[in-house]
Amino acid sequence: MTNLAIVIDCLRLKDRRDGGRSGRVMIAGMIEAEGLVRRFGNFVAVDDVSLRVPDGTILALLGPNGAGKTTIVRLLTGVLGLTAGRATVAGHDIRSNPAAVRAHVGLVTDVPGLHEQMTVPAYLDFFGSVYGMARDARARRIDELLAFFELETHRKDRMVGFSKGMKQKVALARALIHEPAALFLDEPTSGLDPLGARSVRELILTLKHSSRSIILCTHDLDEAERLSDEVAILRRGKIAAVGEPGTLRAAGSPETTVQISFATPFPAARAILQATPGIEPSAIPAAQPGTESLTSIEYQTRDPSDVNPQVIAQLAAAGARIVSVTCAVRSLEDVYAAAVAAPAG
Amino acid sequence: MTVEPIPARGPGEVAWPGDLRTTWLIARRGAIESLRDHLTQGVSVVFSLAIPLFIVMMVVRPLVRQSGAEGAGAVGTVIASYLLIVGLMPSSGSIGIAAGMFAGEKEQGSLLPLLASPASNRAIFAGKVLGAVIPALLYAALADTTYLAEIWLVLGARTLRLLPLALSIALMALVPANAVLGATVASLVSSRVRTYQTAQMLSGLAVFPVSGILIGLAIQMQRWSSAYLFVAVAVLVALDALLLVISAATWRREEVMARR
Repeated sequence: MTNLAIVIDCLRLKDRRDGGRSGRVMIAGMIEAEGLVRRFGNFVAVDDVSLRVPDGTILALLGPNGAGKTTIVRLLTGVLGLTAGRATVAGHDIRSNPAAVRAHVGLVTDVPGLHEQMTVPAYLDFFGSVYGMARDARARRIDELLAFFELETHRKDRMVGFSKGMKQKVALARALIHEPAALFLDEPTSGLDPLGARSVRELILTLKHSSRSIILCTHDLDEAERLSDEVAILRRGKIAAVGEPGTLRAAGSPETTVQISFATPFPAARAILQATPGIEPSAIPAAQPGTESLTSIEYQTRDPSDVNPQVIAQLAAAGARIVSVTCAVRSLEDVYAAAVAAPAG
Repeated sequence: MTVEPIPARGPGEVAWPGDLRTTWLIARRGAIESLRDHLTQGVSVVFSLAIPLFIVMMVVRPLVRQSGAEGAGAVGTVIASYLLIVGLMPSSGSIGIAAGMFAGEKEQGSLLPLLASPASNRAIFAGKVLGAVIPALLYAALADTTYLAEIWLVLGARTLRLLPLALSIALMALVPANAVLGATVASLVSSRVRTYQTAQMLSGLAVFPVSGILIGLAIQMQRWSSAYLFVAVAVLVALDALLLVISAATWRREEVMARR
């Protein structure tokens, strides 16, 4: 994928009308859901989930397999019905006008799900027709997407011989053929090689910058942190934590973990740390029998810029030969692990 | 790359196509893909070319040679009966194709994009059924044409002239009735089960007895007048159409994805 700047213009969301169903001008695809519930028999797949994805933002849905991510996507794309709750996508109520919602959303899943006996243009033309695009608009849009996804040289090939990466590109092109206002990407980089995944991530950011509302389901926490404005961590169908990635990290534990390594064993380090203001004794891992001669020590502090220089100066003054000092803030992985491991409430 | 945005749609213009157009789009896509599928092609070649040849060589030819002029009417009736049997075999392929349309595509993940499109439930269901019926009927037409062509080549045009016209047309009309029934039942089953194999097995169990009844009916039809023949066929076709319309009107996409 190249020339992203030009493509931003290509994909920029234009003012549009909702196809004459209401005559209302549609500008954006905000996603709002309140109290979503979905049951399959006695099993509650989604339990009182509320979320809001303003225009031009990405919400990442995280959670273990079976947490309800895919079910939420299917509810909000009008593929599954709600058991309870309400939702609007691109200004259309999912209960009263699911067809209008479906007309304004694009969906990509981890499985490309193509009709592989078809060529790419024929496949895109089929979906363009189902979405009601005029013939000339379809032809122009297909040319744009083939160029954008670098599939022009495969114009006459059936997709059955394509690699996973190429198929995923076609799936993305399919989801974009009708210029949807909202996008639902369910593990879109699953199974792609690193470069292919990077291309897809670049595209997702491009789409975000073109005022689309995007919900991204992923198991890749790094991807979620880099792309999303907000993350929602799901556990057993409920939202266990939601917020901006940085806010979530800070809210869970504002402390920085500091690890100091010594060239030679330095048993006095523990006493120095315990005497330093800003470090709670409980934040220093308890000494284990026979570990006092170890060559590293760890502590946690809320104010590393003030505490660390003091600790280093005192250790050095006491004769410690410091090799390295490393600081680690709480990662999204820590937040995720804490959220999904928390007792059900 | 120079690009222009797709023009905004004007007020009052329908954003997505009507049911009939969408039905046709879905049916055409399904039919083309089935016709291109190598497994379907292989099975259909056997049903459409090899089996008619076998019947002509092993059944019709000995029958014609053994019967005298006084038995010409009975020979014509038997040849007509095989028109139904030869056509029924490839037309039953609609069951396998329809089973793949929902359960098979769900397994492959290719159904979800269509379910997430603005296409109506009616259009999706009817399109899938027609997409299964069209290739099955094409292969059935090929089979009957092959059967008649082989009779002409092996036994001559005189044998073809023994065919009772009304009975032959009535029997061939049962073939699409069987194909539509098979595809509708298979689609209903296919959208409610998890795997292609289950869909195919259950649909076969439901439809093959009906094919047996059709053959039994065909035997009875040999004694009926032309008027009765066409009334019977018209009733069957009407029942088929009714089943298809009711199924399409009541089917919900929810049924496909709500299975866990």
